[in-house]
Amino acid sequence: MAKFTLPKNSKIGKGKSFKAENAGENKKTFRIYRWTPDGEENPRLDTYEIDMDKCGPMVLDALIYIKNNIDPTLTFRRSCREGICGSCAMNIDGTNTLACTKAIEDCRSDDNIKITPLPHLPVVKDLVPDLNHMYAQYASIEPWMKTDSPPPSQERLQSPEDANRLNGADGHGPAMCILCYCCTTACPSYWWNGDRYLGPSTLLQASRWVHDTRDEATGERLDQLEDPFKLYRCHTIMNCTSACPKGLNPAKEIAEVKKRIAERQH
Amino acid sequence: MTESCGKTHKKIETPLARAKGLGSAKSGYKHWWMQRVTALALIPLSVWLLFHLPNIFTASYAEAQLWMSDPWNAVTLLLFLWAAFYHALLGLEVIIEDYVHCHVGKPVMLIFTRFLFLGAGVMAVYAVLKINFA
Repeated sequence: MAKFTLPKNSKIGKGKSFKAENAGENKKTFRIYRWTPDGEENPRLDTYEIDMDKCGPMVLDALIYIKNNIDPTLTFRRSCREGICGSCAMNIDGTNTLACTKAIEDCRSDDNIKITPLPHLPVVKDLVPDLNHMYAQYASIEPWMKTDSPPPSQERLQSPEDANRLNGADGHGPAMCILCYCCTTACPSYWWNGDRYLGPSTLLQASRWVHDTRDEATGERLDQLEDPFKLYRCHTIMNCTSACPKGLNPAKEIAEVKKRIAERQH
Repeated sequence: MTESCGKTHKKIETPLARAKGLGSAKSGYKHWWMQRVTALALIPLSVWLLFHLPNIFTASYAEAQLWMSDPWNAVTLLLFLWAAFYHALLGLEVIIEDYVHCHVGKPVMLIFTRFLFLGAGVMAVYAVLKINFA
């Protein structure tokens, strides 16, 4: 059966508490998931009080502040700090999003902001989840141009309309996905069947290649996708679309792939 | 690492081998399509049935029999039964596939569900025909 409760060794306990010393009125508290593979301890939520006069406006600023000034053992991924690399995806205040583009001010919890890793994944350490399976699923859809025709001597041509199908006329097309996996880990269907269901992120990418007019493997791609688990585990729950920090619409792209498969039947 | 029937099986395989698994079944479209077709059929059929149900519940057996002897009523009721049982079966199959991961329990439940809905459907159709032609 699908598991609805955490296994014994994953139950979260109460952690350490760090108070901000010599701080003024402007303070905020963060509760952060901590777990290390060394030793047998269960995960815990550590509480950090931060002097907001010394910290930047984004959640990532708070995490960096904690690592630099309070607790250097805190582990998280980050790189570009401007929402383009997708490294700092985590569950902040109950929603999967990017720590670098989430303003502390915009958190629904005024204080005591809870930060945990992306849900339903094995944890490597603290806020770092294991993304290997999702990267492998991405590789399995062969996300590269496939052609049988001899390569042209110049660029492969594409009309602006066809390019817009991928990039989005408003810049929110499937090619704009940064593979942060906020959508996939927000999907209950992926939680229960992530071993076989490709999940919104990979299916959004699959749609990007299915709809690329320069690609010559559309039929083979649809053959590979037509599967009760790989594709049809999507039950249009739409958590993916509401989670996407880039404002993309994976649910719609999955529906487009289903439509393409329907089209070739009739 | 795979889990089935409460047992954990540790497999040494590459992430790509795990992601590819047994490959595509190259099916699933028909299930998805029929779920939508039956859902579409159920919209007018359910409205029709809900419109008539209050009268049938309060009617005597003879009155109900008279109502069903109308060919339109009998045929529409049979169509409703087909769509409703088919749609419910497809829905239940999805739920079992979603939540049951035991490689023994899952096929057993899928087969049992098919038998159950086929049996219930045939019984319902038989009841309509019997009332109509008795």
